[in-house]
Amino acid sequence: MTVLQKLKNAVRKRSIHVCYVNTGSCNGCDIEILACLAPKYDIEQYGIYVHNNPREADVILVTGGMSTQWLDKLPDLWDRVPEPKAVVTIGNCPISGCVFNRPGKLIDPPVSKYIPVTAAVPGCPPRPSEIISAILGAADILFKDYEIHQKEKKGGSHK
Amino acid sequence: MKKVVDVSLPIGPIHPCFKEPCRIKCETSGERVLTTEVELGYVKKGIEKIMIGRPWQETIFLAERVCGICSVVHNTVIVEALEEISGITVSRRAKILRIILNELDRIQSHLLANYSYCYTIEHETLAMYLLNLRETAMDSIEMMTGTRVMSAYIVPGGVREDLSDENAAKILEATYTLETELKRYVKMFETGPMIALRSKGIGVLSAEDALASGVVGPTARANGLPRDAREADPLYHELGWHMILRTESDNFARIMLRFQELFQSVNIIRNGLAALEPGKIRNGGEMKAGRVKHTVEAPRGDLTYDIEIDSAGQVVFVSIQTPSIPNIEVASHAMMKNLASVADVTSTFISADPCIACAER
Repeated sequence: MTVLQKLKNAVRKRSIHVCYVNTGSCNGCDIEILACLAPKYDIEQYGIYVHNNPREADVILVTGGMSTQWLDKLPDLWDRVPEPKAVVTIGNCPISGCVFNRPGKLIDPPVSKYIPVTAAVPGCPPRPSEIISAILGAADILFKDYEIHQKEKKGGSHK
Repeated sequence: MKKVVDVSLPIGPIHPCFKEPCRIKCETSGERVLTTEVELGYVKKGIEKIMIGRPWQETIFLAERVCGICSVVHNTVIVEALEEISGITVSRRAKILRIILNELDRIQSHLLANYSYCYTIEHETLAMYLLNLRETAMDSIEMMTGTRVMSAYIVPGGVREDLSDENAAKILEATYTLETELKRYVKMFETGPMIALRSKGIGVLSAEDALASGVVGPTARANGLPRDAREADPLYHELGWHMILRTESDNFARIMLRFQELFQSVNIIRNGLAALEPGKIRNGGEMKAGRVKHTVEAPRGDLTYDIEIDSAGQVVFVSIQTPSIPNIEVASHAMMKNLASVADVTSTFISADPCIACAER
């Protein structure tokens, strides 16, 4: 491992920019993400910053079970996120649609049909501590040695 | 007259200021914002359609999930509507426990609204103070119901769990924490010169517009309109509720009114805890067929459920009228008109406390 890669790993571990996307949730999960910002949980002490801007995000937090309006917009938004990137879904809705997945619904779960999902936190809604541990756990695996993994994947050609 | 529009500026749907996705289209001339239009539809799930044809037991959980912020009041209003249909009575202890939980929910919702406003005018220090204070209210809710959000605490005939004396003492202690901390933050908000520059005289809702639009909740009361569904409940009067009104009708008034209501909610909780007498918390009953329209004051205004149940216990018709619908409309058409700066669009919109999930369902 080069020195540069070590530096990148060290920096990325403490600088995870998060954007949350509500694709038809009841905002119960959204306020639990907001509660992570509160000094009680203090998400920023782990180096996670909630900017809510997809263009500078590393991790996208998806809540909700894909309402009709988001079917084309979410893959579009996913394309605009710079590499390396990951999706963590929060709550039951992105996994199964929860109570909304019944006859007469206007949602189309799961979210993984539309964008690649790295981790899912079930719960209706999950606690803020669970959300923080999920982001930290996913980011650790994903962003470590990212360039080396990319090289292996592309067969030596480095972008 | 020909309208000169420089740029049609879209804000959203994903924006740092918004908790939920919605798009505001602004027509601007220079820095001045001439008109705005709010585009919704990003979180439409069709809850009313899902409810129809399902047994009433399931609709209670569905109604809770209309809105995550004010889930308690949605639970309250549908259960009270079902009780009204079947003529189920509720004991005094259960009624007071419901009021205590509703006021705790109002405290966390108002604190979240004021946090959002302070965050939008970029006073992050005060915003974080308020968000931290909200955790005190959330801990009390968790102590009382067992979970932070979506508690399903209120059931037909009463409440699910009793409040033990030690937990009541802890909630009483939390109200003192809330009151002392709030006094500090309200003073910061009231006397901050920069906050006044961003809030006073901005987003003014004229008296004619307010009357014509049917605005409800704190947004109406900051305009001097006495609209509060709690007025019809004698138990609320007994626990020290009174109408709070302000007349400035700008952003500052709406936020200050929420702060004043927080003190009142703290007071109601204390009076409620003092008025608790030992007794049954849950009565039995039999569900009957019928149709009823029931209104309860949500943190954002009047929340009405129009629900019809047949003899098999299935929901035949349901219509939910949430307070955010008129408030979003009045924000987009009357308040965010002819604003001095684009930065005032988001702050004015947030000051009306719009809940997109409520409005779209």
